[in-house]
This record gives sequence, C-alpha cells and structure tokens, in this order.
Amino acid sequence: MSVRIWGVVGTGLSGRGIAELVATKGLEVILVGQTPDELTQARRQIELSLQHEIERWALTESEKRAILSRITMTTDMTELARADFVISARVGDIEEDKAILRTLDQLCRGEVILASNTSTLSITEMASATNRPDRVIGCHFLQPIPKTKVVQVVRGLKTSDETVARVMELVERLDRTGVEVYESPGYITTRLIIPLINEACQVLMEGVASAEDIDTAMRLGFEMARGPLEIADRIGLDTVLVMAERLWREYGDLKYRPSPYVKKLVRAGHLGVETGEGFFKYDANGDRIKNGGTGR
Amino acid sequence: MKILVLNCGSSSIKYQLLDMETESVLAIGKVERVGMEDAIFEYKGAGEKIKEIGTILDHTAGVRKVLKALTDPEHGVIKDPEEIAAVGHRVVHGGEAFVSSVIITEEVKRTLRELFDLAPLHNPANLTGILAAEAALPHAPGVAVFDTAFHSTMPRKAFLYALPYAMYKRHKVRRYGFHGTSHKYVSQRAAAILGRAPEEVNLITCHLGNGSSVAAVQGGKSVDTSMGFTPLAGLIMGTRSGDIDPGVIPYIMAREEIGISEIMSMLNKHSGMLGISGISSDMRQIEEEMDKGDPRAIETFEMLEYRLRQYIGAYAAVLGRVDGIVFTGGIGENSPRLRKAVCENLAFLGVTFDEEANQVRGKEQIISGPDSKVTVMVIPTNEELMIARETAELVSKMGRA
Repeated sequence: MSVRIWGVVGTGLSGRGIAELVATKGLEVILVGQTPDELTQARRQIELSLQHEIERWALTESEKRAILSRITMTTDMTELARADFVISARVGDIEEDKAILRTLDQLCRGEVILASNTSTLSITEMASATNRPDRVIGCHFLQPIPKTKVVQVVRGLKTSDETVARVMELVERLDRTGVEVYESPGYITTRLIIPLINEACQVLMEGVASAEDIDTAMRLGFEMARGPLEIADRIGLDTVLVMAERLWREYGDLKYRPSPYVKKLVRAGHLGVETGEGFFKYDANGDRIKNGGTGR
Repeated sequence: MKILVLNCGSSSIKYQLLDMETESVLAIGKVERVGMEDAIFEYKGAGEKIKEIGTILDHTAGVRKVLKALTDPEHGVIKDPEEIAAVGHRVVHGGEAFVSSVIITEEVKRTLRELFDLAPLHNPANLTGILAAEAALPHAPGVAVFDTAFHSTMPRKAFLYALPYAMYKRHKVRRYGFHGTSHKYVSQRAAAILGRAPEEVNLITCHLGNGSSVAAVQGGKSVDTSMGFTPLAGLIMGTRSGDIDPGVIPYIMAREEIGISEIMSMLNKHSGMLGISGISSDMRQIEEEMDKGDPRAIETFEMLEYRLRQYIGAYAAVLGRVDGIVFTGGIGENSPRLRKAVCENLAFLGVTFDEEANQVRGKEQIISGPDSKVTVMVIPTNEELMIARETAELVSKMGRA
C-alpha cells in the first residue's frame, strides 16, 4: 500500500518541519496539535518558513499555496484514522510518547506504521504500549528538517525487516537518504557531534584559538559546511546541553559531559541562532552577522 | 479508426478521443490531482461538460475513469472500449534513441527508462501513462510521439555544444529541442496554405506559449531550434530566462548563497516575463499594463520581441531563403501586438504587413501583405491531432505488415 497521507503529532519545531517537508514533496499531511492557538501559531511558522524559501528563489507563491493546502490542521486525534503513516514528534518523556502510541494503535488501521521522531527515547519501550510492536519504528529527522538530507531510521527490538524497508522507501520519497541504526542513545549523529562540540569548547576555553578560527579551521580543513560551534548555535545551545547530559547519564563517559562554556551561555540566555547570539551573532533570518576577517 | 491521445504529467492526464475518418474530436477532457482523494475529472463528450471531484488513486484508475465516461450510455461517444484502435502518447524526451514516433514495445519501454535522467520531471510520468493505458486497454497498441523527434534532423554543427567532446560522448549533452510535434504540425499546415509541397518550402516557425521556441524548417525538416538540452534555452518565456551567459549562474549562487535547486528554480520559475516585469508571466496581463503605460511592462515586451526577432534573423541566415514565418501557441495565436512588432522590424526580409488581417485570434490567417516576399501566417497548433495522425499511420502499417 502506498503512503499518500502522513499523520504528524506535535506542532513543535520538529512536527512543523516534518509537515512542511512532506507537503513540499506533494503528499498530504494531517498535523495534530493540542490547542487551536498552537495550530494557528504552527501555520504561521510554516508560512514564514515557506516565505523564506520564496525569497531564496526556491519556491513560487502558487507552490506555497499548494503546499499549505496539503496540510490539514486539527486538534482531533481521531482524524489520524485516515493516515497511511503516522509520526509522533512531540518533545516529551517516555510516558507521554507511550500514551500517544497507545492512542494511535487504537485509531490507525492495522497495517499503518507508527513512528517516533525521538533521538533519545526507547523505541522498544514505546512499541510495548501497542499491539503492533513489529510496525513501530524510530524515524529521526535532523534539524533543519526541510533542508537536511539524512534521516536516521531506528530499529526497536521487535521492528520487522519489512517495516524498516517500507520506511526507507518513505524517506526516499522525500528525497532523503535513510541510514539504519539500532536503538542506542544518540544514534550516530548526536553521539558524534556532542564530543566534537565539547572539544571545540575545550580548545576555546584553553585559549588555544578564537571561536572564529576554530570554525574556520574545521570548515576549510575538513570541507564542513559549518564549523562545530556554529553547528551548536544552530542546534540550539539549550538542546545541546540536554543532549549532552542524556548521553553522559547513559554512557557515564566523560567525553559527553556538557562543557561549562555551553552551560554558561545557556544561563546567560544565549541559546544560539534562535536568540540571535550564541558562540556567534545572527540576524533575524538566522544568517551569521559577519564581523572580523576570518568569518565568511 | 478511433484514437485516444494521452498527455500524462506526474499528477495529471489530458486526453482526447479522435475519429480519424473525419479528424474530428469526439471527446476531450482532463484529470487533475491524480493520486488524491479530491482529484478533478473533466469530460466533454456528447452533451454537457462534466466535472466531478473524487478519489482517483493512480493513472490507471484515471484512464479507467476516462473509458467509463467515453462508454457512458448518456454522455459517451463509443459503445465499447474495444472501438479504440490505438493510444497515442505524448512523450517529452526521446533522446537520441528515438528519431520518430514508435509503436510501444517492451524494448521501447526499457529505452524510455534509460532516458529518465534527461527529463526527470516528464518522462517518468509519460511512462506511467503508457503503463496505465496498457492496463486499462490491453487490446489497443500504444504509440509514443516525442517532443524531440522532429528536431532529430538537425545537423551536427547545429546540435553540438562547444564543450569538451567527452560531454557529448559520455552524457549525451547536446541540443535536442522541444515542441517538435507543434513545429511539425504548423510547418505542414503552412506548406498546404502556401499550396506547395513541404519539401519545397523554407519556414521559420514560432511556437510562443508558456514555453516558447523557434525552429528553422528546411524542406519539411527541422535544421535548428532555439531550445537546447533542456527547455530552458532560447526565447524569453513566461517564467523561464531563455539564453543567458552561463557564467552568471555560479556568480549568482555565490552572491545569493543558494544551491543548485534554488538557482534552477530561479531560472525556471522566477525569470522570463514574470522576472523582468514583476507583474505576471501572462502576456495578456503584460499587454494590459502596457496600455496603462507601465514602463516595466513595455520593457518586458520589447525584450521579448527583440529576442524573438534575433532568432528569426539568425534562422533566416541559416535557411538562406525564407518562404514563410508561422506564429502559433497561446501568445503566437492571440497577440496581434507582438506579431505586428516583430513583422514591422522584418522589412529587410521583404516582409510587408496586413494590419487588418493581423487582428485575427486563434484561427488560420495570412497576415502579411500581398506583395510580401515572405508569407507570414497565424496557424493554431494542434498537437493532439498530430499525435493521433502519427499513431494511426503506425498502427495501420503494423496491421498491413
């Protein structure tokens, strides 16, 4: 059965990003939020994001209208009975995600695959709340979701090969590349980027090099589009802190221990691109404000 | 003999059923939003036009729906789908593999798949349409009619780009040209209007629509055309830039900090008449604003006319002798102002102009003066009829063989 209608639960950054991406690729989306206000806000954010794409010449006004018309917004979970694939993208704890999965299990047709966008919670545990543990899977989209080309497809203990294969196809339909990972905190991307950010902070704190030069060296030296400190700013330093703490707790390895420098910035309210300042400064469009000779 | 003509996009099907004894259209319509629960089905056969909204999950379901309407006791025009002798498909890109229309076989479908890279937006949808027709009408042979085929007669010096030759050998990068079915149809009609055999006349055919191209047609064969490897080259179009210096592309990408998909979107969707005027991609709206004296609309029109005239001049030099110039396509058939502006500037070719005849819209008409050295004509294009003719011809041959 081909997937035409995606269900997305949650209107946060991830939920909105997934809805925008899926609708941009010509598929229909049912986006479920908790309150009408939350949905109004979500629609405005998606419109803003699409407007930004028009300004970058990537879309036209009529394409934007068509994309928005493919997103149905509702506070009524039961509408997800129409969906061919549902992903939960609400940021919460495991109990909350289990409750959502349990509800979806009752609402959705038997063959429908249920997914979670989580990067840290256990898919196996979520699956245990349903009667279809073989059709529960992790599907972790990386921020910024409308741009990033990779999706980590996460196997729980009982996820079937067929489910993995079908989700790989769904991801490909969105022009994304899926990488298969087994359930493990941080998967690939979070687990590798946190120690890199930590070490960059260490180099900065030791006074070995400036933030600007650290990023420049890594960008040009290893053909990275962005240096580790700008990456941290774009993820959001509060999020970096949470990810680091979770990894540290899980693995008990010092390489994951959050850098005091990140903690300090977060306490000062400098969360990165979102607040306009982190390791670097940003304008309202999220573009780096270039100061000094070593910047881009 | 009755022929069904299909033009399939990724989520649309345009169709016509033609009776080839009289070359008349029995039924016409389209299906839009294929794959959706609110697909739109339009049909005009016997009686009133029908419009329905409902679920059409794929192209096969769409074609089945068309057949149901065609055989409907009330609105239908045939009793049995078996009456459809063959299906003619519009296929955008034939590459170098297809130089004329072909009966669709397994081999043809395999080759079509190999051509996906050349027209990633169109060819896969065209093949989907072919498979849908085969599923819904297993008795009827299919024929593929290619937008590129008419231009396959271009000489190498016209179709090669001055890039490293390896780019042609390795990746088949060359000029292909498009709108071939339209250029072929109007050049045949033009020869008939001139009362001469196609082999005897030299023509410059201007297909001006949402996408636009000019072709130099020598003795019935295309020898050059303005579109190239993709339909982005040549004339200024609704939203496409046409010819630009390729050096502009990396410069803009660096300055605007955008990637390949954004620059391609800029060149295809944000440029052309829309991009220059900031008003519209529609010639009618540009002309309305010109009447109000809008300077950007006037400049847009002047640029478009200038580029078109440059190509006509170039192709006059290619052909050596020009017997006729043809205007077709939405703009070519419906903009007396553009035709006049072009023709007034072609006096050096011996073109004179009949102001009154030029007022015509959407029907065949000679618009040059009786003393004109070159006959200028408006000829509404009819790609569906051309596809149906080629289809009928091939299946008749197949029947005889």
